[in-house]
Amino acid sequence: MNLFNKGEAPKSQAELLYAAQLRKELQFKTNVAISWAVLLVIMVFLFSGQSVTIGTTTFKTIHIDTTFILKEIDFIAGGLTETIKISILSIFLAMALALLAALGRLSTFPPIYALSTFYVSLIRGTPLYLQIFFFFLALPQLGIILSGTLAGVLALGLNYGAYMSEIFRAGLASVGKGQREAAIALGMTPTQTMRRVVLPQALRFAIPPVGNEFIAMTKDSALVSATGFVHELMWRATKVGRAQFHNLEALIMAAIFYWTMTLALTYIQSIIEKRLSKGDR
Amino acid sequence: MAPIVKISNLDKYFGHLHVLKNISLEVPEREVVCLIGRSGSGKSTLLRCVNFLEEPSHGSIEVAGVKVTGEMKGAQRRQLIHDVRLKTGMVFQEFNLFPHMTVLENVIEGPVTVKGMDRKIAIELAEKNLESVGLIVKKDEYPMRLSGGQKQRVAIARALTMEPKVMLFDEPTSALDPELIGEVLNVMKKVAYEGMTMIVVTHEMGFAKEVADRVIVMGDGELIEDAKPEDLFSNPKDPRTKALIDRYRTDSGN
Repeated sequence: MNLFNKGEAPKSQAELLYAAQLRKELQFKTNVAISWAVLLVIMVFLFSGQSVTIGTTTFKTIHIDTTFILKEIDFIAGGLTETIKISILSIFLAMALALLAALGRLSTFPPIYALSTFYVSLIRGTPLYLQIFFFFLALPQLGIILSGTLAGVLALGLNYGAYMSEIFRAGLASVGKGQREAAIALGMTPTQTMRRVVLPQALRFAIPPVGNEFIAMTKDSALVSATGFVHELMWRATKVGRAQFHNLEALIMAAIFYWTMTLALTYIQSIIEKRLSKGDR
Repeated sequence: MAPIVKISNLDKYFGHLHVLKNISLEVPEREVVCLIGRSGSGKSTLLRCVNFLEEPSHGSIEVAGVKVTGEMKGAQRRQLIHDVRLKTGMVFQEFNLFPHMTVLENVIEGPVTVKGMDRKIAIELAEKNLESVGLIVKKDEYPMRLSGGQKQRVAIARALTMEPKVMLFDEPTSALDPELIGEVLNVMKKVAYEGMTMIVVTHEMGFAKEVADRVIVMGDGELIEDAKPEDLFSNPKDPRTKALIDRYRTDSGN
């Protein structure tokens, strides 16, 4: 829109329509934000322990023991670093495996293709929970003893790698045939073509969906608490909750931590996505 | 003069479709050859066989003394094909610049990665060629920011920076808006006048007339006419050539 004709030249029909549409969108967004705030207030109120009397009936909202919260918040928050550590280690392992599996899917050599599809099928065909226990409880029977964290990272990495192989496959497929041909015509070997031309473009394509997977992984990392030896958020929440019979407060605290973390990561991801979408594509 | 490109008894099948039928063709050094013909006549496939983007089904191809025959197999064949590709530069209809690299990075990519050329020397060479196609000011831009004509000129600079013996052009102006065709043809003309051997698949009859030393007409996978442009355009022998030229006259209105 022209910024220099404020209040002077008459606006065209299209400009008026566009302005009206913008107003409508802004109005909608504002209303959604207000509704969110109201829902949040209602939720806080439901856990406030207040009594409400409507006519003759009295409702009592849920009572939260704030002394417990204040006493244990540091202990539970201490699990954040472990949760983040597990998630970061696992996402890197998952990315490496996903890329290998995606490249395997492109192979014309049957054993490699089979290895890739076999891995994806096996992992996607069994529960993540089982996989975590397999590494932690089943492997010791074969003389392989892993720490809870290592078992968790291996299981999460393997599991997400299988799911994420689709993302990398789509990334590789997004690079057009013309790109490969241009590289080949320059005299590049298949390895150089992959490394210099195809992979950089495929990875850029894959970054936003990998971000989504990472966010999902921070939450699935809670399953690792089942080993009983990884002191991440979930483990700490259940430990103090069970011991003092304050599961309600403990789980609410953990939920708030997970939710905040997810919101923060989603925000960071949207910034990265904006950066990637402009400029050099 | 010994030919710099020599195609002998070349056949190409796509499944049961016989797209190139026993083609033999010699191109002497410094010659500019335009390949014309209706779509589906096999002209692009023939061009793509020269640097083995398409594998010929039979026959041999020799470029600047490197000969690849149908009998060769395995590592030796791969090495020779690689050598042929180093002797040829290719320009595509769709430009195929690398979108994740700047203009300059696109142009030095071949010399640095493939030839192992020192980066500084490659940049000097690349800048010289970008200067020559008139795009040195755009060297730090990404391809996305360029017009189609500019992209194609960068693609020409990229191919030239590999210092090939032969340049192959596969319909270099077919994906361009009409007003951008001229700038690309001008660059190609310049390359031709500097003595480059060129094989150009094109629909631009004006370019063929003005710049080509020889125009070859393809039809149904065969070379149906091969003549100097002045003879071909004034006195076409094959009715298919005549039809092609007539349509061009109607299109361009002269």
